[in-house]
Amino acid sequence: MRPAINVTGISKIYHERVVPLDCLQDRLLRWRRHRKVMVIRALQHVSLSVAPGEWLGLYGPNGSGKSTLLKIIAGLLRADGGSVEVHGTLSSFFELGIGFHPELHAYENVRLHALLQGFRTHELPDITRRIVDFSGLGEHAALPLKCYSTGMRLRLAFAAASQIDADIYLFDEVFAVGDAAFREQCLAFFDGLRKAGKTVILVSHALDGLQRFCNRILFLEHGKIVREERR
Amino acid sequence: MRPRPFTLAQSTATILALGWSDFVLKYRGSILGYFWALINPLVKFGVILYIFGPYVSPSIPQYPLYLFLGIIIWEHFANTTTGCMNMLFEKSQIIKHLSLPKIILILSVGWTNLLIFVTHIMIFLLFAWVRGAYLSLSSLALVIIAVQMTLLALGIGMMLASYTLKYRDLPHLWTVITQFLFWLTPVMYAYKTTSPALARLASFGHGLMDASPVGAIRLFIELQPLAIVINDARRFTLYAASSAPSLIHIAGVSMVCTVMFLAGTAVFQRRSPFFPQEY
Repeated sequence: MRPAINVTGISKIYHERVVPLDCLQDRLLRWRRHRKVMVIRALQHVSLSVAPGEWLGLYGPNGSGKSTLLKIIAGLLRADGGSVEVHGTLSSFFELGIGFHPELHAYENVRLHALLQGFRTHELPDITRRIVDFSGLGEHAALPLKCYSTGMRLRLAFAAASQIDADIYLFDEVFAVGDAAFREQCLAFFDGLRKAGKTVILVSHALDGLQRFCNRILFLEHGKIVREERR
Repeated sequence: MRPRPFTLAQSTATILALGWSDFVLKYRGSILGYFWALINPLVKFGVILYIFGPYVSPSIPQYPLYLFLGIIIWEHFANTTTGCMNMLFEKSQIIKHLSLPKIILILSVGWTNLLIFVTHIMIFLLFAWVRGAYLSLSSLALVIIAVQMTLLALGIGMMLASYTLKYRDLPHLWTVITQFLFWLTPVMYAYKTTSPALARLASFGHGLMDASPVGAIRLFIELQPLAIVINDARRFTLYAASSAPSLIHIAGVSMVCTVMFLAGTAVFQRRSPFFPQEY
């Protein structure tokens, strides 16, 4: 069977000067430190394959390369080497409510969000209504976002994310926020995706969460896959 | 329903919606609202008219209209170019986390500023009517001017934005350059030329150019596209219909603006995939 995602030999290196080169004032004041360039090997020849319907977890400490890998798969970052093949429509979530503006009300925000996600204009009225209904904001939907509580914003953002239908989903810790009720809603959403046979890559610091949902967990350290756990 | 890759129609719809939303949001919540878009050019107009008007206006017919038209076109150019650079910071979350074509975001800046420019043009036409200026049908050609200036400003804005994240001095440097450029553009003084632009360019090869620094500055003022577009706008609206630019001239200027826009697009498209890691 053709894999949904096939990553072959991905490498990513960041060259960061200790003091940014573009600041002339820092160049003059701290000229000695400019000679020091930190080479960060975010990913080193990482290869993986995800079968259709599989749930893959990426686990590792901060700076291990999980988010970089996810961003390369999503097409947000360019790898220095290697290749990525994605078969199917892909939807990535690195943050909830991207593009939301505090001065816009729920319908305006959701409409713009849907446009930025690639929905067609004729689909907007229906998708907007569905998202606002799902968020359960009721009469508050007519208020600007700045009037919402944190929980209400989160509900709207979650509703917007959960109504996007794709074959492959990438999640980067986006649901590690909110209260217990919000987390329950997220878990129910994940259960729905599992039942629908969607392919998912989950990045999390919470190993128990990954173990609950994922068929396979890859442990990353210093930009390399150091261990694999099958479930 | 599922999202699909951006087509031309989908991209256009997103540019229009995003640009309109930015236009509305720019003034929402402020007491004076849209009037803030007017206050800046009006203050500039008032100051220049009061201080420089007495010296310049005797040689320029309809000087208040001449000045106002120059200022609003200049403001459109300056606001669009700086808006292109600012967009990278205002929409950083979208650039970092969504994989949509980034050119959509920058073209929406052009659309927002074009909307503001159109309202300024309306005010100019109202101003001209109040002052009893004769406006011929050739004033409709201001549409061409709006398109030319938007293409030119977006082209330069995209080139600047392409390197703004890499070289953070660029927005500051551009602020300084625009100060010079304002004085090197006949916004408040008379545009003088001895022959049509193409003939002037052709004279390069015939040793007819003044090689001194002053001569070079004069030549720059005469031939830079901003000056030509602003002068064309005045020829279309303020002077007799017989002085309107020829079709060849309009086509030539439009071509220069389009080439700048295409060059800016090419540079921006090449650089934009690197933006997320340059924050």
